[in-house]
Amino acid sequence: MKTRFAERVGTLDWGKLAPLRLRARAVAEGVFAGAHRSRRRGSGVEFGGHRSYVPGDDLRFLDRRATMRHGKLLVRQFETETDRGLRLVIDASKSMAYRSEGAPGAKLAFAALIGAALCRVALASADTISLDFIGGDHSPPLPAMGGLEAFERLTEILADVEPSGDASASTGLLDVALDAVARRSRRGTAIVVLSDFIDLPDGAAERLMALSSGGRVVVGVRVLDPAEASFPFVGPVLLRASEGGANVETDAASARAGYLAALAAKMTGYRERLVEQGGRFVEVTTSDDPVLVVQSVLAAIGGTSA
Amino acid sequence: MSFVVWAALAIAGLVVGPIVAHLLHLGRAREREFPPAALVPHHRSTARERSRLEDFPLLVLRSALIVGLAMLGAMPLVRCDRLALGRTSGASVALALVLDDSESMRATLASGKTRWDVAKTGAEQLLHSAREGDAIAIVLAGRPARIALAPTTDLGAAERALDELTVTDRSTDLPASVELARAALKALPQRDHRLVVLSDLADEPVADGSPPVTVPLAELAARVDDCALTGAERRGQRVTVVVACSSEAAAQGRTVELVVTAAAAASAAAHDGGAHRASVGDVVAHAGVSPRRGEQSLALSVPRDAGTLNARLVGNDACRHDDEAPVSEESTASVVGVVADPTRAAAKTGGPTVVEQALQALGDTWAVRPLPFVPDDEKGLDGVGALVIDDPPGFSPEARASLSRFLARGGVAMTLLGPRSAATALGWTLEPFGRGAARWEEAKELQIDVASLTWLGPEATSLASIARRGRTRLDGMEMTGSLVNGRWTDGVPFLLERPAGRGLVVTAGLPASLDESDFALRPGFIALLDQLLRQAGQREGGRRTAAGGAWTFPAAKQVSIDGPDGPAKVTREPSDEACAERGAPPGCGDTILRAVASVRGRYTVHVDGATETRIATLDPAEVLTEPRAPGKASRTEGARGTARVGVSRELSLVLVALFAAELAVRLFRKWTNRRSAPSPSVIPNP
Repeated sequence: MKTRFAERVGTLDWGKLAPLRLRARAVAEGVFAGAHRSRRRGSGVEFGGHRSYVPGDDLRFLDRRATMRHGKLLVRQFETETDRGLRLVIDASKSMAYRSEGAPGAKLAFAALIGAALCRVALASADTISLDFIGGDHSPPLPAMGGLEAFERLTEILADVEPSGDASASTGLLDVALDAVARRSRRGTAIVVLSDFIDLPDGAAERLMALSSGGRVVVGVRVLDPAEASFPFVGPVLLRASEGGANVETDAASARAGYLAALAAKMTGYRERLVEQGGRFVEVTTSDDPVLVVQSVLAAIGGTSA
Repeated sequence: MSFVVWAALAIAGLVVGPIVAHLLHLGRAREREFPPAALVPHHRSTARERSRLEDFPLLVLRSALIVGLAMLGAMPLVRCDRLALGRTSGASVALALVLDDSESMRATLASGKTRWDVAKTGAEQLLHSAREGDAIAIVLAGRPARIALAPTTDLGAAERALDELTVTDRSTDLPASVELARAALKALPQRDHRLVVLSDLADEPVADGSPPVTVPLAELAARVDDCALTGAERRGQRVTVVVACSSEAAAQGRTVELVVTAAAAASAAAHDGGAHRASVGDVVAHAGVSPRRGEQSLALSVPRDAGTLNARLVGNDACRHDDEAPVSEESTASVVGVVADPTRAAAKTGGPTVVEQALQALGDTWAVRPLPFVPDDEKGLDGVGALVIDDPPGFSPEARASLSRFLARGGVAMTLLGPRSAATALGWTLEPFGRGAARWEEAKELQIDVASLTWLGPEATSLASIARRGRTRLDGMEMTGSLVNGRWTDGVPFLLERPAGRGLVVTAGLPASLDESDFALRPGFIALLDQLLRQAGQREGGRRTAAGGAWTFPAAKQVSIDGPDGPAKVTREPSDEACAERGAPPGCGDTILRAVASVRGRYTVHVDGATETRIATLDPAEVLTEPRAPGKASRTEGARGTARVGVSRELSLVLVALFAAELAVRLFRKWTNRRSAPSPSVIPNP
């Protein structure tokens, strides 16, 4: 117990997931050892179409043949000009602070680790990253930026964040985060939302679907504690929700099947709506191997898995 | 407040506190944070119910543990111990248990147990503490006192005998039972003799003697509030019910009801003008009991066709058993008929004849009915159990036939032959009292041989010198089966006795007339009449007898009895009276059928084909006599009698067992919880 408290940063229970920076780097190294190390290599030289010349364009990209054929100045475009950046949205509301007995860390800590590792992978591919939070204290957004400095700033922000706020009360917290992401995301941007998807307000799925427009890929990563996924309680229990103020007294054995069915139905709703708009939905728990989780998310971004 | 009160409060707190804490905690669910709580369905009632079910065994075990601890702590205050034989030297002990099986032992004590149960449990505990070599005797204190188990060293037999004992409705005879127990112990070789009395002591004090009496169960002498029906007799349309109450509180608010137990025959109802006939269970009369201690009679009127009735006391008291009694019909056996000439057998001052006066001197058990002559019709002797005929001038054939039927049904008749008997009319004889004619002779110098009348008791000596004019010679008058029960000094029979049918015929050689002799004024004459009535009572059987009384059937061949508790046991036993009847010395081996009505109620008696109903009633003393607290000396425990042995060791073992049981329950619940709870599983990646 002493070790666990010593590793805590702020009020968030990091558990075995601290220190974030080193753990994220290690996870990213594990990902690089796989088949996705140079996924974007060479893609920038692929032809991407023509557009009209505007003053200031590089004259090297003028397509003389197309200009002569169409009678106006046209420049050639390449894939390297499309935005393949990674936009992270992490749920830092109060429910993400939950950590059951035996779990490696709080849900927010696990989401931070996965997010940092994804950013590390993205930065290695020269993509830009950004970070926004749903709720949370000490959670300044990170604008889109690239380079090693971006990773350092990202881990600093993630290490300082403290879960707070009730996302279920209104769509305010969600809208703040998603509007910022929408503004800075261009065509081809991968938007990864790390949340438990339990306490998001009504209409959250529709707002996520709206992000999927304009060639953007939205990947929802549902992060649950093992206890939330299996409901291991026994006997009479009084359960108090982190957000929304719900208190339920029940018999665990009798309620287990009903709870698991309700949880599955809720997650199915998110999955179906995201997939409908070309998005992906990944379900993980904090006891899963972070490397496998990052690989799953990358695969979802690449469209190889849903 | 005394130390005892504080200690009791502390013990109560120990017992109540954990139970209250448990009840407060019962059903309260453990609170925990769970973000998706809104998705969890509500099952509150099931949860609480299951919690109660699961916690109940633990509550019981813990409560039992705490109560046990409290009892251990309060051993000096709580009498949760048992009786045992105390031994001073370790030698074998001869123990006589006097167990009171009288009706008063049926009363329920404040503990909820009857006195009999407490006494029997005490006796069992004493028997269990007996060792090999100890001699045990069991004497029952219900009247008459009797030995239920002769002294024996077979402890198994003693336990079996004790198991078979049941409480009865007898009255109490404690002094006799103690004497019987002392006599049983006297011949035993054990040096240490003990006499333990397990009784409520509701009887006369016991005389001092050796061994001294020990009364270990003082709680048996606790007073109880009880009312009992001690008698209920019907005469025509009037029923007299006798109620005995031990206290005013017991009689408060009580009423007596008469309930029909068997409906009257249809002919009886028709005879009554076709009026409504009461059916079984109907209450035909009721009356309130005066709220006072003691015995009181209540007279109730009932319809003529009410059928067979039971009297019932309504209300609660310490003994429900004695709150119901059968109503007996008017007695028939308690009438003695007297045929005597008032001009000859009466005193000069007038009044009843000397025979009647002698019978009245014997008490009011028997009602005396003067008869002018021996009835020619059998109906004239209806209801008569005994008949005394003074100096008859013979009997007509019709009278003889009537007498024969009277004797055949168990009547007892005695005739006193005098000068008139010697002059019988033509066609008249003295049969069935004697054969042929009687002879009256003047013989002043002869006297009655007192030695031949010792069976009459000490009163026989009063017949030694009778002033008389003469005597009737009975020699030559003996009929077949006649026995000479008394003689004159010259050997001539003075008293003849002969069984006839189920009855008995007695013939005396002197009349009651005071002109002829002063025989009727002698105590020996009253003793002779008393003997006669006793014989009549035995043969006819009292319609009402006290519970515990014996019925004998001297001349009966086959007897069966149905009592309130099923068939009553009829035994054939040696009888000195039967020996005396035929002039044989006591212990001659003659037997007689005998039955005991140990329980109150209605008995149906079948004697040689004839059926009659008899009632066994309760002795009012069983209710009215207050229990006596045993004296200090008789309560003394230890070397003289019994010792109370604590049960701490047993209690400690029980506590250890309870503790082990709680551990087992806890482990079992933990194991079942583990089995039922799913292990947290990792949801695979998509």
